[in-house]
Amino acid sequence: MKVHKISQYAAVALLGGATLFTLAIVAFIIGFVLEKGLPQISLEFLFSKPKDMGREGGIFPAIVGTLLLSAMAIVVALPLGVGTAVYLAEYTRETRLTRAIRFGTDCLAGIPSIIFGLFGYIFFVTTLKMGWSLLAGAFTLAIMVLPTIIRTSEEAIRSVPQPWREVSLSLGATRWETVRKAVLPNALPGIITGVMLSFGRSIGETAAVIFTAGSSFRLPKSAFDSVRTMAVHFYILAREGISSEKAYGTAAVLVIAVLAVNILTYGLMQRFIARRAR
Amino acid sequence: MSGELRSPKVEVKGLKVFFGKDEALRGITIDIAANRIFGVIGPAGSAKTTFLRALNRMNELKRDCRREGQVLIDGEDIYLPSCDPVALRARVGMVFAMPVPLPMSVYDNVAYGPRLRSGRSAVSEAPHNAIRGPSRSAKAELDELVKTSLESAFLWDEVKDRLGGSGLKLSGGQQQRLCLARTLAMRPDLILLDEPCSGLDPISTAKIEEALVILKARCTIVLVTNNTKQAARAADETAFFLMGELIEMGPTSAIFTNPADKRTEDYVTGRFG
Repeated sequence: MKVHKISQYAAVALLGGATLFTLAIVAFIIGFVLEKGLPQISLEFLFSKPKDMGREGGIFPAIVGTLLLSAMAIVVALPLGVGTAVYLAEYTRETRLTRAIRFGTDCLAGIPSIIFGLFGYIFFVTTLKMGWSLLAGAFTLAIMVLPTIIRTSEEAIRSVPQPWREVSLSLGATRWETVRKAVLPNALPGIITGVMLSFGRSIGETAAVIFTAGSSFRLPKSAFDSVRTMAVHFYILAREGISSEKAYGTAAVLVIAVLAVNILTYGLMQRFIARRAR
Repeated sequence: MSGELRSPKVEVKGLKVFFGKDEALRGITIDIAANRIFGVIGPAGSAKTTFLRALNRMNELKRDCRREGQVLIDGEDIYLPSCDPVALRARVGMVFAMPVPLPMSVYDNVAYGPRLRSGRSAVSEAPHNAIRGPSRSAKAELDELVKTSLESAFLWDEVKDRLGGSGLKLSGGQQQRLCLARTLAMRPDLILLDEPCSGLDPISTAKIEEALVILKARCTIVLVTNNTKQAARAADETAFFLMGELIEMGPTSAIFTNPADKRTEDYVTGRFG
């Protein structure tokens, strides 16, 4: 056999092997968590309150807390992030300042989440006297996911073809009208992807929320109440050795939630792409 | 010349445009008469497009662009600070070299400009209207405007049954006529066309030229073209550009049959370019 053919087969085998290995790890982790956790999941587990520190009962307040916290974080981060992205992509020319802003966002993205937790604790919880609360947790998560939203939105906005902007402007649209009518609608799939990824990340986040949203079992009555997210609940159950069965059950719900968000994102993307091609 | 009492539609006086240190347009002085098709020919890189985009202030959207000299439309200097480029572009239509339908329906493409205008007046004049949405008669008016614009661009018969379909699904020639219709919906009195037929088949080209000849009854048209034959067919007057300079201009027949400058002759006879 010729040498270049051998190297061709070797490359396919190596690259394919790497892909397979990655997939196998993902499948193993998900399979492991689901195998241990699924038997724990029942309607009662999903819809009742924990009892005896979580040894018995369900995780309903944690599910509510997780969803509320993540949703509030997105509500805060979305306008800030998309606004920044529009400004960077549409209203500024490439200068030292925009490069500095972009570098800053990248740095923000690289900060470990526990640091955000610490910052949120000092700033929102203590200095602004929000206490351990939904609000403090949501603001902290919002800052954490902001870089993702900014960068994905900016990419999405920049990928809108330049001629569409020129056409809009040539028809007498202002820059802002052009952004609203010609740019943002077409950048929407990319923006939504960033938002959904951020939502998924918020759902699973532990370190940033344990110091800011607290770990109360109770259903929150207002934005100033403390909540316990599923990730925090899992962490406490496992770390304190309270109940490994309930911990696995919580983990399984968490994994399913994150998977569901990702699959939903993928589905939405496909629909957007299909609609645009029509 | 006693018949020419009307002042020209467009007066360009000593216009220079720079991109960074490059002097793209080197002092152009031209008068463009109203209700004429004014052709601009010249080889690639002779700044025909830059000239065109100076007439609706599109050049300034590019970075490092600088301008000297004046452009007067209906006697008004469009580069005075008091002239709003947004309002200017709303009354000076432009069709680009490549057909660029916006990614929306045929109807929405044509209605894009008029809706901007009505959206603004609804907000500034009657805020309660913006909440209730356009009235029924406004909708009928817009329908009519879309229809007449598409008719003027010779596209109505081909798209009347699929106004809701995406503009991107039309053929190239249809897309370019859609772009023309979209421009016409603004009811401009000056239309700038930048090589509008460069990618089109002869039949679509003929349809666009036919549309232009009819349109000049109500507007003035500046037609930049790479295709000298198109200028010869459609333009009343023609200017020959070379390397950012105006070499010669005059009645189209004179430019093509009896050019004064050797370079014009070489270009129109196909010896270079």
